[in-house]
Amino acid sequence: MTIPWRTVVRRLLSMMGTLLGVAIFVFIMLRAIPGNQITAGLGTEAAALTPEQRADLEAYYGIDKPLIVQFFSWLGNIATGNLGFSSRSQVSVASLTVDALPVTIELAVLSIILALLIGIPLGMLSASKPDSARDAVGQIFGLAGLSIPSFLLASALLTVLSAKFGFNPNGEAYASLAEDPVRNLRQMLLPSLTLGFGIAAPIMRTTRTALLEVRSQDFVRTARAKGVGNRRLQVRHILGNALVPIVTITGLQFGYLLGGAVVVEQIFSLPGIGRQVLIGIQGKEYAVVQSTVLVIALLFVVVNLLTDLLYRVIDPRVRAS
Amino acid sequence: MARRTRLSRDSVPLISLGLAFAMAASACSSGTGGAASSNASKAGGSLVVGITSDPDNLFPWKATQFQAVNVLQTLYGTLTEFDKDLNVVPGLAESWTYSADNLTLTMKLRAGVKFADGSACDSQDVKFSLDKIKDKATAAVAAASVASVTSVEAPDANTVVLKLTAPDAALLGNLASINMAILPTDSTEAALKTTPAGTGPFILKDRKPSQSITVARNPAYWGDKTPLETVEFRIIPDETSIVSAMQSNNVQLAVLNDPLVAKTAQGGSLTVTKTPQLSYHVLQLNARRPALTDVNVRLAMQCAVDRQQVLDTAALGEGEVIGPITSPAYRSDPSARPCASRDLAKAAEYLAKAGKSDGVSVKTIVSQGEYATSVAEAQNLKAQLAEAKITLDLDVLASNAYVDRWVAGDFDAAVALNGGRPDPDGMYGRYFTSTGNLNKVAGYSSPDLDALFAQGRESTDPTARKATYAKVSQHLEANAAWIWMFSGFTYTVAAPKVTGYLPMANGSVQYLRSTSLP
Amino acid sequence: MTADTMVGAPPRGGQRLRLLLHSRTGMLGLVLVGFLLVLAIAQAFGLVGTDPLKQAASIRLQGPSAAHWFGTDQFGRDVFSRVAAGVANTTQIAAVAVGVAALVGTLLGVIAGFYLKGPDAIISGVTNVLFAFPPLLLALSLTSVMDRNWFTVAVAIAIVYIPIFIRVARGPVLSLRNIEYVRAAVSTGQSRMAITMRHVLPNITSIIIVQVSLSLSWAVLTEASLSFLGLGNPPPAPSLGSMIYEARTLVSVAPWTMVAPGIVIVLLVVGLNLLGDGLRDSFDPRKRGSS
Repeated sequence: MTIPWRTVVRRLLSMMGTLLGVAIFVFIMLRAIPGNQITAGLGTEAAALTPEQRADLEAYYGIDKPLIVQFFSWLGNIATGNLGFSSRSQVSVASLTVDALPVTIELAVLSIILALLIGIPLGMLSASKPDSARDAVGQIFGLAGLSIPSFLLASALLTVLSAKFGFNPNGEAYASLAEDPVRNLRQMLLPSLTLGFGIAAPIMRTTRTALLEVRSQDFVRTARAKGVGNRRLQVRHILGNALVPIVTITGLQFGYLLGGAVVVEQIFSLPGIGRQVLIGIQGKEYAVVQSTVLVIALLFVVVNLLTDLLYRVIDPRVRAS
Repeated sequence: MARRTRLSRDSVPLISLGLAFAMAASACSSGTGGAASSNASKAGGSLVVGITSDPDNLFPWKATQFQAVNVLQTLYGTLTEFDKDLNVVPGLAESWTYSADNLTLTMKLRAGVKFADGSACDSQDVKFSLDKIKDKATAAVAAASVASVTSVEAPDANTVVLKLTAPDAALLGNLASINMAILPTDSTEAALKTTPAGTGPFILKDRKPSQSITVARNPAYWGDKTPLETVEFRIIPDETSIVSAMQSNNVQLAVLNDPLVAKTAQGGSLTVTKTPQLSYHVLQLNARRPALTDVNVRLAMQCAVDRQQVLDTAALGEGEVIGPITSPAYRSDPSARPCASRDLAKAAEYLAKAGKSDGVSVKTIVSQGEYATSVAEAQNLKAQLAEAKITLDLDVLASNAYVDRWVAGDFDAAVALNGGRPDPDGMYGRYFTSTGNLNKVAGYSSPDLDALFAQGRESTDPTARKATYAKVSQHLEANAAWIWMFSGFTYTVAAPKVTGYLPMANGSVQYLRSTSLP
Repeated sequence: MTADTMVGAPPRGGQRLRLLLHSRTGMLGLVLVGFLLVLAIAQAFGLVGTDPLKQAASIRLQGPSAAHWFGTDQFGRDVFSRVAAGVANTTQIAAVAVGVAALVGTLLGVIAGFYLKGPDAIISGVTNVLFAFPPLLLALSLTSVMDRNWFTVAVAIAIVYIPIFIRVARGPVLSLRNIEYVRAAVSTGQSRMAITMRHVLPNITSIIIVQVSLSLSWAVLTEASLSFLGLGNPPPAPSLGSMIYEARTLVSVAPWTMVAPGIVIVLLVVGLNLLGDGLRDSFDPRKRGSS
């Protein structure tokens, strides 16, 4: 497989451009929010500050310099790996991110795995006999997944399971996968089920559509006519070609999950990256929000790039060209 | 043959589905058993307290957030402390005497006290701390509390002498606030934020941002060693989730503010204790704005409000109607006001006196998300006042925007929940004296009031002070400086095995030091 | 999820409607959404229910009854009226958000696809930047910035969805540029604007319509999520999301406070999804042949 270097370089350059755009956008947006770290930190006690004290605090938080200076010093710091410092938590933003990002990524990955495990078989079920009762069941399930808001499902699950059955692993201190895999997986169970259910639907529909389309296409008919066995046909040709849209949709959902998980993280008290951004916004910690959003954008853009590259591997038409 | 292939084709999806659910089911079943045993008590016990947010500042002189203050109360010590009835009792200062003219306060410090970093705590550290708190450059939150102190001397290792400009009866109580914590000499904010060094009953053991902060028994504490070995403050952002965690015994203690959530905690094995608070819900009025300069307009508003109704509708009756002063020793009589109960006729009269019989419009700010009842209170007030032809123009703002405007005094009226203190001077001195640093926000002052506050500060006789502050309260109500409504409860939810914890009216968690979990 | 590129003779107006009516899913969706909207409008005009803001402590937390079809909440407010008003608020915000996004996005997409080079580079660049944000995070950041009322919430959601419309419009326009009659029109010297109006727009209308209906259901969910986080249209305006948030503490004593808004929001989103599916199926040239 030859790597199309020119394309990759061009993509990398446009990635950098996009990230710069994200940096500018988030920087400006944060400065537009009323209040700053002083009022966020002191609350109504900020009324008691004298002008000199306020000036001192502004210098301390680095918000006294002109905006351009703040912007470029932040960017410069990022280039050297310094993502900023959170005075609330007294650790660097890099350290916060290193702790929080794996949580969300794990949640996203588990959700996608569950969604694939639920969605693809359901899609195959639906496609096996279109417009039948089976199909209807699959479609209804898919529709439910798309339509039930994640916060509703999460709230309902948590309240019912903890009140009626005493099942609440998320009430325990969070354990990362490395520390305590069993506790970690139990804590990830409800959140990833909630999110996975939501994204199982598009995966199911895509699978169904793709399978139906592919099945009726020429090369499949040809292969069948040639006498290729059904099982082999299914796996290699049909599923193989249906993989392209499934991969697309999975890639898209990953990005959605990175951000959409914030509500689920809140309800199940998972210390993930979505909550880090939310707390940063509430506490007006500019460095935290800016750097974290940039990291998320970087991740998202990289995932897109990888998804694109994956096409070239699995799509026979692209490979052939 | 066709049927067989169809079967095998269909069995694949079904089997996969089955696998997925089996995975989930097995994880579920292994879950219920483990939940209860995950917090095995070690020797001395390990308590988990549920809090909704990470402490945002571990530097005692600047911490205002509720969660930060609670954690700091376990780590740091103050010269004086409060007992469960909010009386001032010895802390790091064993005893004290005033000079005859009440201008010199000599305090004898406890011997043998150590900071968490091992260094001894003596008069030098007290001098350093008080000097720094007074220093404007520090921007300490409690600076105004020691405004009357001109100098601090440390004649010997166990004695400090405070010289005052005028008698200050509130000083001893003010010294008990965690914002007046005694810190080691030459310690810096930056260093202490990462490595606290206090004289409290606990020391910092571990901190995971956004997850938990754990404190452990301080073996060098000057008082009785705590029965608990560790206390973990676990961050669970949602009060409802905290109750869920308590019902599954992952969390043993929590202080909740939402009465509805507290109600759901009742009825199981958990005990819920209601504690009246010093903090108060108020409709602040800015008498310096054109709409409210005329006292008759303000009195009209006061007469048009049925406070019990606000309490019932917004907070489900969970609270008590109060006057300005909420601390038990100086409590205002809520019926000692021009309109103790709603009187629309009188309200109309006052409006007529002000020449505004057609009605008034009052720009009001309300916060959203800061505390549970703000918007509901505002709505009820709006509905009630509308019947007296007074229109509350509500501006519902997110916390940051609200704080900005509150701090700038940029409002005609503000629906607020303000903190209270055991001493009335600490509570209102900075708001209602003309030189108070929050007077801009209070929007009202008068020479009579200034004189009364000075009187209260100077006198040390409890009976005389009570009388003075009763007059302060009457003045504030007679002039409708603000419309005081009610004070709510906090709900301390505890697991059955927790003993020895006493909630306090000022929200302090200091009794964690005597709590035990067998 | 975007609609596929469809290039071919677009169905004419009357044909479209007939196709939609034939689609079972489309009809079901239309009926559901229509029913909810009628209910919301009826409530707004006082034909059903009562004042959604009226508090009455004495009738707090009562179950469904003849006077209060969905019971009352913790403040004694009529849940049915609040739910109906919530539907009105939510659909208003979603409609404005998607409308703005569709208009602005289509316009920008057409410009980018048609004029290429400069404008395309800028517009595509901005689209990529916005796409790099996870949608909910972008929405909540935007609502934190502005003074919150229903319009700014709608604008925030619109900004999140504009990139999709840009992309959806730009694609077909790119391929349409090369189609014979467009090339012919350009060579005869017709103004680009005229060409856009007469040839390009009618061709992409179907795709835009489908995308609009898809986006509506997402917009409703996003608005509900924002309200749930306390960052949506501020109270006291009833919102399905904030009703569900408040109901979390009540669900054990008064389940109707969560069940009612929960079911309604699911029905609304289901209806919009079905409508979108029906539209997509009826506009799909391949399906058209078989119906």
